[in-house]
Amino acid sequence: PQPQGDWSKLLTEKEKIYSLVMDLAHVEKRETALLELSKRRESFVDLAPILWHSFGSIAALLQEIVAVYPLLAPPTLTAQSSNRVCNALALLQCVASHQETRTLFLNAHIPLFLYPFLNTVSKSRPFEYLRLTSLGVIGALVKVDDTDVINFLLQTEIIPLCLRIMETGSELSKTVATFIVQKIVLDDMGLGYICATPERFYAVSTVLGNMVASLAEVPSVRLLKHIVRCYLRLADNPRAREALRQCLPQALRDATFAQSLQDDPTTKRWLTQLLFSISDPNALS
Amino acid sequence: AATAAYAGATPAPMPSAVPLPDISALVVINPNLVLFQQQPLLKRFVPIAVERAIRDIIGPVVDRSVTIACITTRELVLKDFAMEPDEAKLRKAAFLMVSNLAGSLALVTCKEPFRVSLGNQLRSVLQGSADQGLIEQVANICSQENLELGCALIEKAVSEKAMRDVEEAIAKAISMRRSHREQTGQPYVDMSFFQNGSRFPSQLPEPLRPKPGGLTPGQLRVYDDFARLTRAQHVLAGNHGSSTPTSSPPPPPGAAVSAPAAAARALSGQPGFPGQPGYQQDLAVAGAGIGGLNPS
Repeated sequence: PQPQGDWSKLLTEKEKIYSLVMDLAHVEKRETALLELSKRRESFVDLAPILWHSFGSIAALLQEIVAVYPLLAPPTLTAQSSNRVCNALALLQCVASHQETRTLFLNAHIPLFLYPFLNTVSKSRPFEYLRLTSLGVIGALVKVDDTDVINFLLQTEIIPLCLRIMETGSELSKTVATFIVQKIVLDDMGLGYICATPERFYAVSTVLGNMVASLAEVPSVRLLKHIVRCYLRLADNPRAREALRQCLPQALRDATFAQSLQDDPTTKRWLTQLLFSISDPNALS
Repeated sequence: AATAAYAGATPAPMPSAVPLPDISALVVINPNLVLFQQQPLLKRFVPIAVERAIRDIIGPVVDRSVTIACITTRELVLKDFAMEPDEAKLRKAAFLMVSNLAGSLALVTCKEPFRVSLGNQLRSVLQGSADQGLIEQVANICSQENLELGCALIEKAVSEKAMRDVEEAIAKAISMRRSHREQTGQPYVDMSFFQNGSRFPSQLPEPLRPKPGGLTPGQLRVYDDFARLTRAQHVLAGNHGSSTPTSSPPPPPGAAVSAPAAAARALSGQPGFPGQPGYQQDLAVAGAGIGGLNPS
């Protein structure tokens, strides 16, 4: 049996969570509750189902989200309001990650309320943070390989939003956005979708190519890893493989990234596989 | 430009009827605009341009905002009100929520497209009436100063449609409460929320869970908060003057108030809400593949 002390500590923590969740429903207590709950989201495993099933909590989080819409254009989001809504998003990320609540979250179409955030272009820190946190919610959804998630994201046109962030975002945002595209393309339906038309394929490969070009200047191994994985997966599609023979950036074919990949055997192996798969079949014989 | 391949190819059809109030009394016309000082009669084109700009962009905005808001509202309200026997409380909460969510989505979606469209409509109706520089000045200033009004009108139309549509989305939940009470005399409980083998919501402490006997006013307050005065109500109620004088003189012609590049992007290649291809159709065939998007 557990020592008495631990039980009471556990109980207290649980009661604290319940009381904070209750505070979410009250506008005047909400900001503190958001902060305190988002601090505890990793340590308290039942937080997601409690948030989902408790009366009005998700409604309160949605209020937080739509409340900042008027600050998006013209861009007037302050650091404080960005922090506040990002705490709400962190709680939604917890709901998106949890096995018991992910489908409910998706069925209620809540991810769509984040798309206006992904659609912003301001480079200021509050906006960068908002986009990154929103990407985190989508990233949490795709982390678990679930066809329903991929289907939802394809239907709701997440790809163009990711592509623009991959072109213009910070290194971290680019990495998360590329990770999302990677998870989509790893799904058969996702690969089919992206390779369905030349326009779609080139929209993706152009952005990947531009990122490779900028990585040659400012390296980032974690970003490169996701880019290479995307290319390797695209090469599974015959028409895309054909196109990649022409359009795969030179920097991936020569020794440009040899040094960066020195300590990353996985990415190095993916790159070798990629180059092998797009090599001219006639040249081999 | 790389993202353009994913932008909508087929514009969504106009919603069957989007009633607009008489807006001639609501439009803002800056008294310092040189064109209207020289030719005051041209002012009558401003409300026409505002109305055309609204009709130009409102279709996809209404469709998408209302569809999303109705689904979200239905899922959350039916869950939160599972043990609430009073259908009037459920209905009220659904109305407040859907109106706020749909209006908010519409607003965040339509702002830039509306401003661009209004500028273009003004250029088009005024074309040939005067020097191009004077027309540009009107297009830039007028589209900026009537942005609030246009957005408020769009938000209002969207909220009203959302309330009509959500009524249908929750119709079954309402009639079941009513008929259960009439037939059994007992309060209704939607047990589907308790039979999924989950520990929740049963394990939640009382104040956090929907409980038999109805929700308390304290609990309901979070839904009442959706009713906080929207901008649409504010703008449409408070702004009556047909030509509210503004103290600031208009900038010289050519000094665009808007950000045309960004706005044009918002209209054409921009991903986001306007011009989402086939979203409605996809919803209709949800679960039946990704309708028409796959190669074979």
